Amino acid sequence: MSDSKYFQTTKKGEIHELKEELLSQREDKKKEAVKKVIAAMTVGKDVSMLFTHVLNCMQTHNLELKKLVYLYVMNYAKNHPDRAILAVNTFQKDASDPNPLIRALAVRTMGCIRVDNITEHLCEPLRHALKDQDPYVRKTAAVCVAKLYDVNPELVENQGFLNILNDLLGDSNPMVVANAVASLTEIDEVSKKEVFRIHSGNLNKLLAALNECTEWGQVFILNSLCKYTPRDSQEAENVCERVAPRLQHANSAVVLSAVKVLMKYMNSINNNDVIRLFCKKMAPPLVTLLSKEPEIQFLGLRNINLIVQKRPEILQYEMKVFFCKYNDPIYVKMEKLEIMIMLANEKNIEEVLLEFKEYATEIDVEFVRKAVRAIGRCAIKIDRASERCIQVLLDLIQTKVNYVVQEAIIVIKDIFRKYPNKYEGIIATLCANLESLDEPEAKASMIWIIGEYAERIDNAHELLNSFLEGFKDENSQVQLQLLTSIVKLFLKRPKDAQQMVQTVLNLSTQESDNPDLRDRGFVYWRLLSTDFEAAKAVVLSEKPLITDTTSHLDESLLNELILNISTLASVYHKPPETFVTKLKGLNKRGLRNKEEEDEDEPDYVDDDNMNNQQQGGQQQQQQQYQQQQQGGYQQQQQPKSGNLIDLDLSDLGGALPNTNNNNMYSPQQQQQQQFNGNPNDISFLGGGGGVEVQAPVNKVVVFGGDRSQAIQISGAFTRFQGRINLEMNLLNTSQQAMSKFKIQFYQNSFGISPADQILSCGAIEVGQSTDVTIPISCNGQISNPLNPVIDMAMMVLPSQERFYFKMNFPLLCLLTETGRLDRESYLSMWKSIPESNERSVEIQVRLPHVDVDSILRRLNSKNIFEIVRKKAPNQEISFLSCKTESSVYVLVELAFNISTNTCRCSSKTTSPDIMPLFEHNLNLLINNQI
Amino acid sequence: MLSSFFILADSGDILIEKHWRGLMNRSICEYFWDQVSQSKQNGSSIPPIISTPKYYLINIQKQHIYLLGVCQSEVSPLLVVDFLQRIYETFEEYFGRTITSVTIKENFVHVYQLLDEMTDNGFPFTTELNFLKEMIKPPGVLSNVISSVTGTSNITDILPNGSLGAIQWRKTGIKYTQNKIFFDIIEEIDCILDSNGYIVSSEINGEILCHCNLSGMPDLTMTFNNPRMLDDVSFHPCVRYSRWENDRVLSFIPPDGNFKLLTYRVKGINQFPIYVKPQISYSEGSSSMGRVNVTIGAKGYNVQNKLSIEDVVATIPFSKTTSSTNLTANIGSFGMDEQTKILKWNIGKIPKEKTPFLNGSVSLIAGSMTPESTPSIMLQFKIPQYAISGLTIDSLACSERYKPFKGVKCTTKAGKFQVRS
Repeated sequence: MSDSKYFQTTKKGEIHELKEELLSQREDKKKEAVKKVIAAMTVGKDVSMLFTHVLNCMQTHNLELKKLVYLYVMNYAKNHPDRAILAVNTFQKDASDPNPLIRALAVRTMGCIRVDNITEHLCEPLRHALKDQDPYVRKTAAVCVAKLYDVNPELVENQGFLNILNDLLGDSNPMVVANAVASLTEIDEVSKKEVFRIHSGNLNKLLAALNECTEWGQVFILNSLCKYTPRDSQEAENVCERVAPRLQHANSAVVLSAVKVLMKYMNSINNNDVIRLFCKKMAPPLVTLLSKEPEIQFLGLRNINLIVQKRPEILQYEMKVFFCKYNDPIYVKMEKLEIMIMLANEKNIEEVLLEFKEYATEIDVEFVRKAVRAIGRCAIKIDRASERCIQVLLDLIQTKVNYVVQEAIIVIKDIFRKYPNKYEGIIATLCANLESLDEPEAKASMIWIIGEYAERIDNAHELLNSFLEGFKDENSQVQLQLLTSIVKLFLKRPKDAQQMVQTVLNLSTQESDNPDLRDRGFVYWRLLSTDFEAAKAVVLSEKPLITDTTSHLDESLLNELILNISTLASVYHKPPETFVTKLKGLNKRGLRNKEEEDEDEPDYVDDDNMNNQQQGGQQQQQQQYQQQQQGGYQQQQQPKSGNLIDLDLSDLGGALPNTNNNNMYSPQQQQQQQFNGNPNDISFLGGGGGVEVQAPVNKVVVFGGDRSQAIQISGAFTRFQGRINLEMNLLNTSQQAMSKFKIQFYQNSFGISPADQILSCGAIEVGQSTDVTIPISCNGQISNPLNPVIDMAMMVLPSQERFYFKMNFPLLCLLTETGRLDRESYLSMWKSIPESNERSVEIQVRLPHVDVDSILRRLNSKNIFEIVRKKAPNQEISFLSCKTESSVYVLVELAFNISTNTCRCSSKTTSPDIMPLFEHNLNLLINNQI
Repeated sequence: MLSSFFILADSGDILIEKHWRGLMNRSICEYFWDQVSQSKQNGSSIPPIISTPKYYLINIQKQHIYLLGVCQSEVSPLLVVDFLQRIYETFEEYFGRTITSVTIKENFVHVYQLLDEMTDNGFPFTTELNFLKEMIKPPGVLSNVISSVTGTSNITDILPNGSLGAIQWRKTGIKYTQNKIFFDIIEEIDCILDSNGYIVSSEINGEILCHCNLSGMPDLTMTFNNPRMLDDVSFHPCVRYSRWENDRVLSFIPPDGNFKLLTYRVKGINQFPIYVKPQISYSEGSSSMGRVNVTIGAKGYNVQNKLSIEDVVATIPFSKTTSSTNLTANIGSFGMDEQTKILKWNIGKIPKEKTPFLNGSVSLIAGSMTPESTPSIMLQFKIPQYAISGLTIDSLACSERYKPFKGVKCTTKAGKFQVRS
């Protein structure tokens, strides 16, 4: 008999039958019935109506039945908080049961019921349980504190549970210690105060527990050791000594946490011999990670990447273990490749190149490309290997496999940059492959090579001319490059290119919509027509050297990540704060409640949202892919000579800002980052599957509202994911189709202007409307005095007709996501601003009752961040900070008076002009009128 | 730590859900499943961490089910992956070797009970099998019969003793009439060979499994013939590290029943008992086809050592443009999967007098490009009574008064044994 039979009750009257069974006198019957209820719950059926009946089965001595009931209660109490209170009596009784199993079970379950009115009743049993004589109960209770903190932090603090928890660090039982550590770590992460501090007093207790607790407990303790900075070299050495045996643990999480502790404490050790000894100990366990499951391999590799950057000596002789197996998952292969490049040196390059060459014939296109690129990167990294690398690349070009050839040409371009005048002999071979190029980057690379070495390629003008024929259909990257290369050719061999340069300048300046291309065209034109020699000096100037920095993290970030080995931060190679803010937030509780309300809605996701999400994801994936394609060579500091013209190099993958995470498979990453900056964004409330959506925008009609004009314009300024946009809707009320639109802003008080004056929308047929998003930049001229109204003009291009209108710009859109100050900086800034800049106004709160939490949540959503709040009788004082796009900080102190429904707003800022407007907006925001 | 945990069937259905931080919307699984289907379409595998704006989805993929952990804040992903792995292993231990959606459904009460015991508040806690088995009896015909006849439950209502002491893995008062302990040394060869048989990279991953039926609290001391050749070792928590560090001796009080005593890695083995000569080449031209000639054989010294190489299977992933094959093998049977174009050649045991070969030709779909690379061959095999590293157990001393019956068995297997052609 198996449990699957419980799933087979689909007949009518099932609920009624279950009720009968639950009321039965026989325990085995009841047990069967509860199992059926849970089975129904498992498949997602609504069995909440049986709540009271199941609850009645709770009072039993049968532990199995009790456990089943508890399981049910845990999941359903949320929907029936009023009824869950019925269970409290039994919980309390069970919490003092003679059987430790039952005591622990009761405390555990009560902690899992996330209902406020249960938490009050939980305090007493929990206090007893924390001091229970049985360690099993104590360790359960230790965790329960963290659960309670998640629901009601004030309660935990007021009841002094945090102190008890800290006392448990000295418990005689290692498991209790481990759980206390786990609990404290979690509370510390979300709490504003420092609740968990390692000092020399409890350090030894933790080290003692480390040897005896379970593997998971070891991970908790090891991670917590990283909070402590040793006093001197000797102490650091002692800790390392005691942690090192953990490297021999079968659990890879333990191993990596131990590595983290060693990496941190090694910084404090003076004795190089000792450091070398620990480095030597770390290598074998790291290598062993690579013989585990692919998931573990991947996570290990991401961390090894950091470790190799920090201390390359650890794995310098282990190159072979990173060789890719044919059937490794792609995500593992990519990471291995990255580390192979890092470990490559003059001694092993021969071996490494053979491997890369092997990979370049594999089936997976993405991997093959990366392998080809890896060869190029090795050439740039290791001077003496460049010749060998070129040879391998030429071999690969001989395979005539389309994407291999294109990728090879892209990297050869970079090798040319690094070693000028060394390998030009191979240009002929490259030129032989011109026809097969169809990717913009490869084409652009080839064109760059032709232009750069025009004087040595006899038929350079013919080659470039062949590209010129299809100029209009080319990608802008290719167009830009072609323009520059033809100009170079002209400067070097004026006779051959006279005609061509004229054509390309015409095409670029007159027939192109692309402002970059036009601008560059004009610059060249003017330069060439003014002074030929000057043009030569500028365009053909010496180029700065490039180095391979693709995989190198910024020193300070690397050091920070090393301290966070084995966390998400170390996997994504992003600063740890990125991940903490996800939960940390002032209004965490409030949000949580809201979220739960939302979740009461049916369990499905809005399809539209899901699709959006996916599209977004794909786009980003593409973006990221492109980034990856850009290679990521960083130019060395550019000399400030007139080298601007040769900016084409950046188009070619020269100076792309290095993001360091080119290889991560996380389409949402970018979204992630933006999201984190804005923790209280509306998307937090979205019920569905973690999908971020922009709040609906209320566009206001700003022009042609009575339809008497040819066009009706409505719009609104928004701020979403750190960017300011003007969301517009254009309705064609004229008698003919409209096609091109241009928008202009007149000089205004905020210095804002459209990032691109030409709107990115197609033609609008008669009677049709279209939505268009206009990205706004805010570094234009600022006009005084302050006026929130912005004059604008919309021009419809074919008819050259202009429409003038005004829009109000909401100041709040200017507030950035990074305006949060910490306490110290807030205080020091407050002090540094002169008294004369201080203002104070009274704001009347016209809401039924003052709910400070929800008001602050609204402020937070507009990037006005609370730093700290003080409570006084009848008064709550909140200190907030925000920052405008022009980096003006506004510091605000809001004193809410609950009894008089008022709020006194005192503020200080370096730029007091904006304050009246700011206060006006604040008033609206507090009264929920925005 | 973990906010929620899901088990998904290979159809994407949610089998089990467990929440520690408020209810998580089930739609998160739909999102996960979209990602799974997407990567399936691309023919790639799903990355272990997927990041969504709000959550991190950490998952492991098993043969028939997916385990998905949902986290909201910073965690150690490795800890989660390791833990998911452990959950799966526990299921295997409880419900048998293959875990399918049916297995989970049939045992959902057990699954919930186990999860409850193994985790609290999303933290992993007790995963020690012996302890779990004390707390929750594994399902089985016998225990089912007993519980239905006597009405006793499969959950113990007393806390197992010793479960929280320093020696968590062993309870006190164990008694056997026959005291015996068996060791299984299993070594896997992970290597890449090139077409000439030259070793590109190789390592041996070994483990020693132990089956222990000993009474009382036996303190065992084990020595190896050549412990220094072990490049990296990781131990079961019962092993005393300091003894190993100082004397290269394994000293431990074993758990009761089955457990993994240690895993190790050995580098620098450059002699394999088996060889593969792959000759696969594609001819250029209009009627493009490939010539295949693969020979697999035992090396000479095997014969002296009387080793037998068994269960040999060669897997050759031919190019997707392959249309048909015209091959013969002198030993064993072979077949090609029409969809994936993966050829499996089951050789079985390599005979003493004959050398297995597979030759003939494969033809490509007319008009398709000649593949630029020839396939790599994956090899599986097993050699009983042989540890390729040469590791042997020298002695085993027991602190108890009785003299246990001892046994050691060795096996060498192919791990990721890859031959480039």
